[in-house]
Amino acid sequence: MPNGSSPNGTAHAAAAAHADIGRDMLARHEKTAPAFKAAVVVCAVLLVLGVIGFVLRLTGGVGDKVLWGYHAALFAFILTTCQAAPMAAIAPRMAKAEWRRPISRTAELFTVVGIFNLLLFIPLLWVLPSLEDERRSLWFFTENADVPVYSPHIWTGLALLALVAIGVMMLWVSALPDLAALRDHSSGWRQRWGSRLARGWYGTSKQWHMQKNRLGILGAFYFLMLVFVHFLVSVDFAMTLIPGWIDALYPATHAANALQAGAATVIVTMYVLHRWCGYKDVITLEHFWGLGKLMFALSLLWFWFWFSSFIILWYGKKPSEQAAIELLMTGPYWPIFLTTFLLCFVVPLFVLMWNNVRKSIMGPTLIACGILIGTFLDRVRLYVGAYSVADRSHQKELSLDAIPAAHTPGLEDILLILGVLGGSVLVYLLATRVFPVVNIWERKEGSMYEWHKPFHRTEVKVLAKPE
Amino acid sequence: MQEHVQLDQRTINDELLNGVLGFRSWWMPALGISVLVFLAGAAAFGYMLNKGVGVTGLNRPVFWGFFMVNFVFWIGISHAGIMISAILRLNHAEWRRPVTRAAEVLTVFSLTAALMAAPLVHVGRPWRADLWVFPYDFARGVWINIRSPFIWDPSAVMTYLTASTLFVIIALLPDLAIIRDRTTGWVNKVYSVLCLGWRGTPRQWKLQAIAGILLSALVLPVFVSVHSIVSWDFAVQIGVEGWHSTIFAPYFIIGAIHSGVAAVATVMVLMIWGFKWQNYLGPDHLDAIGRLLIVVGVTWFFFFFLEWIFALYTLEAPDIALRELQVFQWPWSGLFILFLITAFFFPVGAWLFKSVRRNLWLMFITTVSVNVGMWLERFLIIVPGLMRRQHMVFDWGSYHPSMIEILMVSATFAWVVMGMILFSKVFPLIPLFDVKEAMVFRDETKIGRRTVPATIRE
Repeated sequence: MPNGSSPNGTAHAAAAAHADIGRDMLARHEKTAPAFKAAVVVCAVLLVLGVIGFVLRLTGGVGDKVLWGYHAALFAFILTTCQAAPMAAIAPRMAKAEWRRPISRTAELFTVVGIFNLLLFIPLLWVLPSLEDERRSLWFFTENADVPVYSPHIWTGLALLALVAIGVMMLWVSALPDLAALRDHSSGWRQRWGSRLARGWYGTSKQWHMQKNRLGILGAFYFLMLVFVHFLVSVDFAMTLIPGWIDALYPATHAANALQAGAATVIVTMYVLHRWCGYKDVITLEHFWGLGKLMFALSLLWFWFWFSSFIILWYGKKPSEQAAIELLMTGPYWPIFLTTFLLCFVVPLFVLMWNNVRKSIMGPTLIACGILIGTFLDRVRLYVGAYSVADRSHQKELSLDAIPAAHTPGLEDILLILGVLGGSVLVYLLATRVFPVVNIWERKEGSMYEWHKPFHRTEVKVLAKPE
Repeated sequence: MQEHVQLDQRTINDELLNGVLGFRSWWMPALGISVLVFLAGAAAFGYMLNKGVGVTGLNRPVFWGFFMVNFVFWIGISHAGIMISAILRLNHAEWRRPVTRAAEVLTVFSLTAALMAAPLVHVGRPWRADLWVFPYDFARGVWINIRSPFIWDPSAVMTYLTASTLFVIIALLPDLAIIRDRTTGWVNKVYSVLCLGWRGTPRQWKLQAIAGILLSALVLPVFVSVHSIVSWDFAVQIGVEGWHSTIFAPYFIIGAIHSGVAAVATVMVLMIWGFKWQNYLGPDHLDAIGRLLIVVGVTWFFFFFLEWIFALYTLEAPDIALRELQVFQWPWSGLFILFLITAFFFPVGAWLFKSVRRNLWLMFITTVSVNVGMWLERFLIIVPGLMRRQHMVFDWGSYHPSMIEILMVSATFAWVVMGMILFSKVFPLIPLFDVKEAMVFRDETKIGRRTVPATIRE
């Protein structure tokens, strides 16, 4: 029988069960494992190394954009992974997929990493050339002189800021009931934080109704803004830097890759929570299976988007398009492209096509690790490749006449890579101390909607559909 | 679903077989009109065979006119079946159950209409098609030119047609057995053969379920490849600048889904009106498909935006000239505005309101509007794309479809309508076994003071 489906006695039992879930989850949230402290220290050290790398890079100035290729690639990588991860909460919530409940906060919490990425974006504003030389850009009306020559910088900056703001707002709105639980049942600094952030949340019907509506609206806006930011970044911070590369599908490919990498990011995080953080009974096989299926579908989408672009550029045999293919796929970056192709498409296809693997914890996790590595290499190929093309004026009519050599990372770049990865994880780890990493109220809600009952000779799961 | 009507199996059989075992008053007039229009188109085709393709409005440089527009349009509509059946089945969306059969059948008839529109009619003298094959060109040994999109195209369409037909047949088997058990005489013998010995044993049900899931998963790549390849008929070449765009494959696919799902919604409304199936198809189903259409419509608009923005981004004169032609030159400018309003702004704007999504008439009007717009979209891609003036082109000008083309295009519409009407007389348009399964899976519970519907998870 479902909770609350029967007379008062059962209703009381249901209320007690919900209280148990709340107490249990709060207790887990308040516990800080020694491994957590060690991870924070390691990430902090990596971040310091990254800052050193950044300072060393700054000493070379911002005039030569070739040097900043890896910085741009790292910015794009965090945009593609961490800032897309909240979609693993938004999309299943919109589709009313029940398996999302415990992991929705795990995904939403990545919105705070967006603040860190905003800092990474700032130097690129100086590195990206302006439109003064009438180079090709998304803002192609420069000839009329009505558009500021810093249009790419301004609009991308504003869009990124909006994405981060919407993301953080969504996290806050989503966490309100859990913050109120911290306020009412916790102590010390957590109680004070909960009290400040929960505002006047008391769980009235009106508040729940408004929270649900706001979550829906913020989720939709986050998705739209994510696509818009990918559109701006992929074109103005990569494509326009390669003369002759005109690929109308590339912004959509950039965004679709982000959905795949976002799902992979959440799966890896889920594994960490499952394995080392005491959530083995909360984040279970069902969640790996649900998100693994989505990641599998997105891996197929990766291939379709890539091939749809490639076949057009390859088949036409236009010199400008052949040069773009050579720079990005068959030329200096071919080993990186091949590895990306294997890790983001071939391996996920031939491994996840087997339900036994898809319906496991290790299978999707290992594939997700591969996808994250592949996505990082992909961003290196695209951004380092684009930034290594020498600046030219009047690029409108040009195609690449010389393919630049592959730009291998220097010491500064390696330090920066370590620092950005460490810094992103550090921000996430610190955020988990303030916000419960597993969604408590959605889990309680789920327990009301789901029960098991005998059906002929077996037992089945029954799901209430209140909406 | 909010509104649950619990019915016993006998009532379900009686109501859902009312078209097959009974007779609807509108059936004969509707069939008569569609047959007449189809025959008029067939006569026009005969006339064209006798006189040659000169009787059409096709002329240099516009050699792809109404026929190709219609080909792309019907391929687009055919994407409905797989979208509704396969994707929603894999996602366990409960509202799909009464919709899947009609969507799959629409796929099959749309594909045959597409085959009529392009390979059969467009070539002008189809009996000479053997000359494409014979005498065989051994320049490449025995191998065909696999680099030609015109090899990819029929391969993909025929694979899709085979898979879609299998989809329909597999899902029909249990229902055919029910009709077999309720008929006598020669009709009974026919259904006995068609249902392939279905007895409803556990093994048969298991095999049918596995076949359904396997077909759903395997047909999805085919569904994506078909319209991608149709788009590459246009995009791989560099001769027409406006068509050489990397966005074409996803843009065509999402456009196909937009028009296909809208067509399914239109058919749903017609089924409610025609067969009085309110107990099976209702505002909840229209609401669900309406919400799906909002997502699909907005995604389609995003790809439309990308296609346009990157056409201008090229800064190449022919591209810009084509866009100026489409937007500023009469009558294309008028058609362009009409296309945008009917394909996107009017229907998607209307679907934002729940009252519209749950209203039969408004859903009928808005979904028909989508397909008017999507037909115009294909027309605006093909005809202005070919008619722009270029270097080394000594003929240019507009295209006016002749009455012969209009009749033949109308015949494809009549063919699909005729096919659906005839199908509904022989087979049930709503899968009985799926609806019964949904009834068995239904449950309800009390949460607080509310009674809430519930479903057994598959």
